Amino acid sequence: MRKNWLIGGLAGVLIALAGVAFVQGGGGEAEAEGASIQPIAFPHNLHAGSEEGQANMDCQFCHFSAERSVDAGIPSVATCWGCHQVIPGRTNPQEVAKIEEYVESGEPIPWVRLYKISDHAHFPHMRHIAAGLACQQCHGEIQQVGAEGIQTRTGIGRALFGVDPGVNDNGPVWGGGNMGWCIDCHRQPNEQGVQQASTDCAVCHY
Amino acid sequence: MSRDLAERADGILRRDFLKVVGVTGAGATLTGCSTQDVEKLLPYVVAPEEITPGVATWYTTVCGGCAAECGMWVRTREGRAVKVEGNPSHPVSQGGICSRGHATLQHLYNPDRFHGPMIREGAVFRQGTWDEAERLLAARLRRARNPQNVVDGGDVLLMTGHTGPTMSRLLDEFVAALGGLRVDYDAVSDAPLLEAARIAYGVSSIPRYDIGAARLLVSFGYDFIDTGASPVEHNKGLARMSAVNDEEGSKGRFVFLGPRLSLTGLNADEWIPIRPGSEAAVALGIASAIAGPDAAGPYASLLQAYSPASAAEAAGVSEEAIMALAERFRSEGASLALGPGVGAHHRNATAANLAVMILNHVAGNVGRTVHYDTVSSAAANPMAEMQGAIAAMAAGDIGVAIVHGANPAYSLPAAAGFLAAFERVPFKVSFSSAMDETAALADLVLPDRHFLEAWGDSMPRPGVMAIQQPVMSAVPMFDSKQAGDVLLAVLALNGTAQASATFYEYLRSAHMAMHDAAMGDFEAMWREALRTGSVTHAMPAAAAPELRAPDRALAFDTPAFDGSGDLTLVVHPSSRFAGGEFANSPWMQELPDPVSKIVWHSWLEINPVTAEARGLRNGDLVSVTSPHGAVEVPLWLYPGIREDVVALAMGAGHTSMGRYADGHGVNALDLLPASAEQPSGAMVTLATTVTVEATGRGMRLATVDGSAGDQHDRPIAPAVQFALLGQEPAAEEEHEELMELQGGGGFIPVPAEDGSPASFPLEGSRYGMYADAHEGPRWAMAIDLDKCTGCSACVTACQAENNVPWTGEDQVRMGRDMMWIRIERYYEHVDATQASDLDVRFLPMLCQHCNNAPCEPVCPVFATYHTPEGVNAQIYNRCVGTRYCANNCPYKVRVFNWYRYTDAIPEPLNWQWNPDVTVRDNGVMEKCSFCMQRIREAENRAALEDRRPVRDGEVVPACEQSCPAEAIVFGNIRDPNARVTQVVASERTYRVLDVVINTQPAVNYLRKVTFHEVEAGHV
Repeated sequence: MRKNWLIGGLAGVLIALAGVAFVQGGGGEAEAEGASIQPIAFPHNLHAGSEEGQANMDCQFCHFSAERSVDAGIPSVATCWGCHQVIPGRTNPQEVAKIEEYVESGEPIPWVRLYKISDHAHFPHMRHIAAGLACQQCHGEIQQVGAEGIQTRTGIGRALFGVDPGVNDNGPVWGGGNMGWCIDCHRQPNEQGVQQASTDCAVCHY
Repeated sequence: MSRDLAERADGILRRDFLKVVGVTGAGATLTGCSTQDVEKLLPYVVAPEEITPGVATWYTTVCGGCAAECGMWVRTREGRAVKVEGNPSHPVSQGGICSRGHATLQHLYNPDRFHGPMIREGAVFRQGTWDEAERLLAARLRRARNPQNVVDGGDVLLMTGHTGPTMSRLLDEFVAALGGLRVDYDAVSDAPLLEAARIAYGVSSIPRYDIGAARLLVSFGYDFIDTGASPVEHNKGLARMSAVNDEEGSKGRFVFLGPRLSLTGLNADEWIPIRPGSEAAVALGIASAIAGPDAAGPYASLLQAYSPASAAEAAGVSEEAIMALAERFRSEGASLALGPGVGAHHRNATAANLAVMILNHVAGNVGRTVHYDTVSSAAANPMAEMQGAIAAMAAGDIGVAIVHGANPAYSLPAAAGFLAAFERVPFKVSFSSAMDETAALADLVLPDRHFLEAWGDSMPRPGVMAIQQPVMSAVPMFDSKQAGDVLLAVLALNGTAQASATFYEYLRSAHMAMHDAAMGDFEAMWREALRTGSVTHAMPAAAAPELRAPDRALAFDTPAFDGSGDLTLVVHPSSRFAGGEFANSPWMQELPDPVSKIVWHSWLEINPVTAEARGLRNGDLVSVTSPHGAVEVPLWLYPGIREDVVALAMGAGHTSMGRYADGHGVNALDLLPASAEQPSGAMVTLATTVTVEATGRGMRLATVDGSAGDQHDRPIAPAVQFALLGQEPAAEEEHEELMELQGGGGFIPVPAEDGSPASFPLEGSRYGMYADAHEGPRWAMAIDLDKCTGCSACVTACQAENNVPWTGEDQVRMGRDMMWIRIERYYEHVDATQASDLDVRFLPMLCQHCNNAPCEPVCPVFATYHTPEGVNAQIYNRCVGTRYCANNCPYKVRVFNWYRYTDAIPEPLNWQWNPDVTVRDNGVMEKCSFCMQRIREAENRAALEDRRPVRDGEVVPACEQSCPAEAIVFGNIRDPNARVTQVVASERTYRVLDVVINTQPAVNYLRKVTFHEVEAGHV
């Protein structure tokens, strides 16, 4: 856990003093338009989308542990290769070809993490799935996002939620990006009019 | 992948960046700089089937920490071991694990481990490859054994420590193939006990004790629950023996005889402070009083020379005390005498062990509480054989010396001359996985795997076999190789054909050869052994052995001690470091010693009367001089030691073992002679007198002992007399007002006739001010102080589970230790001058999760509050560090993170962190969470399986899991059938300080039960 609000306050003072276009810089040069931070330009829409020419795969085909674990799971290289050794890819064959390089070198694909909840908060995926939530409820219409969407945090924030994650370092890009967004959902009454999920702090923070 | 595999790829950390900005004040440099931590998600290339990210995978294995070989469960996350626990299905340890067992994890992730095979080049080591190292060893072995080589030729000497039986066999084969000599050495050795068993019964195995079956337990100085042969098993036995049995209304009595109260001694009901070395005289004196005609067999004439009067004379205690104890042997049913143990290995230690065996024999305990298994293992004469090896090395007869699992350069008295002799050996090899004093002298280091990374086996007792399986692949930053594999490779290189290419194959074939076809399929047996952790073979019932006449002359007298000092020195194994092998674990360094509560440095125990007579005070630095050496060490005044004795623990004072061991404390062996006890050949630990002189300097002890063992009349750890159990407690008049206040709170359940959940809470139950808020579980804990032995396993368990950092010696001096649970130790009655009732109380103190918590209303930011489930929660991200809560906590269980203690933890020690628990930063208050992560895990599991609420016993906090004494019970107190509810229903239940300040804690204690009358005010 990092107590960033303290440091953040200090940063705010510094920014005001400097009066430079810090915000314009977004998260930094890595997020400049068009620059790729992901090792492979992965299109979620071609895999999980349901439109013409899209594979309409279940999210959990790749994110395999979401219904039984705290972690949703990132597919192993072997999972990608299981299909792609026979499916070369129509749209971006050069990106698909990179998988083979990882398979041959035995190296993992170093995906850059875009979705992140702070270390002091615990989000058990399986409980939310067991409660009948769709992945999209937190992750947005990710199945409509193409390769460009996950290239930058700004990109994914805008594409899914119409919000700009801005300069918050490590700020979450899911939903509204703060705890209030979690709480809003936890507070909603169920059919019996009872609050459906706990809002006790220690349910997530321990 | 999960959080803990995500890595920081960005070079600049936010706060480092801000520091730079702060210094330069140049805000304009901001543009273009990245302020983000870029984390990478690294998936598996091919996902292992048994691993689900975010879900723990458990393995059974065998603890390699000591020769007790307890059964272990190891929790792994994403392929890393993060926690060890006791395996309840192991027939010897039966669940529970000691604090040293936990600390073995820090050996696995020891940042001072070797990064690969090390080859000496001049004064320094160069890292080599395994192929190179094995070829070098093979070539040097050939060269040494070449008869033409007169320059650096010679025998091969193998010095080994504790290993499993199959590895031990391979070591023997290795030595046999090379024509050399093997010496098994450990400073902490049971050789006198083994030798006494051989003399008395012709068996060469350590006796098996059924402590739980005894009604009278007598220890002649043996520290069996802490540093004995099987601490977890014996700790459990002591708890079962001495804890009051509420159903039967019985309680065993424990009498401790010895010059110093060890942790075991502090748990006794009665202390007879006998002179050091007088164990044999006392045991024989008691035996002579209780022995019927012919009971002692060939020792009848020996017993005639002893009587309670002669015992009293030798021991320096009253004859009445000896007579009274002898009377108890007659009257109290099954008895058991133990001892004397490593701390009393004087020059007649074998005779003393034999005397205790004779006492057990005449008391009729053989076959009842003492069992001798008729197996034979090689008799060990560790020190005597080592002396021979040293002489051979010094004479230049040894060409290659190989050390495996031992550290003789540290664990021998300096006077033994090991260092000079070892230097003479042309080629010295160490299998140590991390630097130690012996490896520092070696020419070649072949770092062995840690036991959690390697295959092996164990035979903790005849008929019980357990496989040690690797629970994770080897820590990648350390290029280690299992010693067994190296030995097989070297044998193959030197032309000795091997049936097995790897130690795993060797191990499997060894067990296949032992496998009895009548027991079914080997593969099925093997799988079962790996799944449950052990296999038990039926053993033929051993006939009651005959007492045999001694085959050699033995002196049973108190031996003479070296020198003319006025104080006798007791050197005993350390609670935390054993013989020294655990010293590089910061958990062990910062674990308060169960007796002294001191951390990091050594101390000399001295009786306050003796100290006062010399004008010495706590913390005074004294020079301790024996005829064999001298050390400077601070004093600690301890009422539990005779006035003519001082004591020093082994295991500290390392010089080249690693960053946490070096420079802390002194090596007690520096004061000891280099002599071996005869006939067992063990190193003597009780052999010399010392003089203690003030140096004029002093230091503040790094201790967590807040009130120095005094309750100051506060109702913290009350007791109740055994005879008064079942009677109506005296009305607590003075607190009547408070009792009324408590009408709205507290946790006194009423007996449930109708046990259905719907009718709960029952009318009259008191559930505290938050009771109506929630219908779910209400978590509570019960700790039976009559079982708790103060062993401190829970303290290290908590530290391992909850990412609790260590802070260092100076920080502890400032009161900044971070432990979430500590063991309070109060002396109620300790008398070192005569035989008397002993009353020392241990109390594990953790957050009491008060229902009326003083910490909660003073928090200005609502970071601490009460959850609807009855837990006093601490929300780290809300905490701003005002510390008001800690100031208002009457139990001093809240700890503040003053610095970034966790940042200072080097790779890969931080790999041990529990990924389910937040790693706290500085400026944050923290404390026991009732293992909230385990509650959540159980709830998650229950929810997925569609069964609510969680079952009783499904949530087991780390402290409860580790407790060898089974003193801690946790559960939902709203459930009338829960174990915790039933335990709390005991008449002994109380809550600490509750009657005074009405905090209504969720942690319930059960009073310790004493045989003697409890003083008023302490009930």
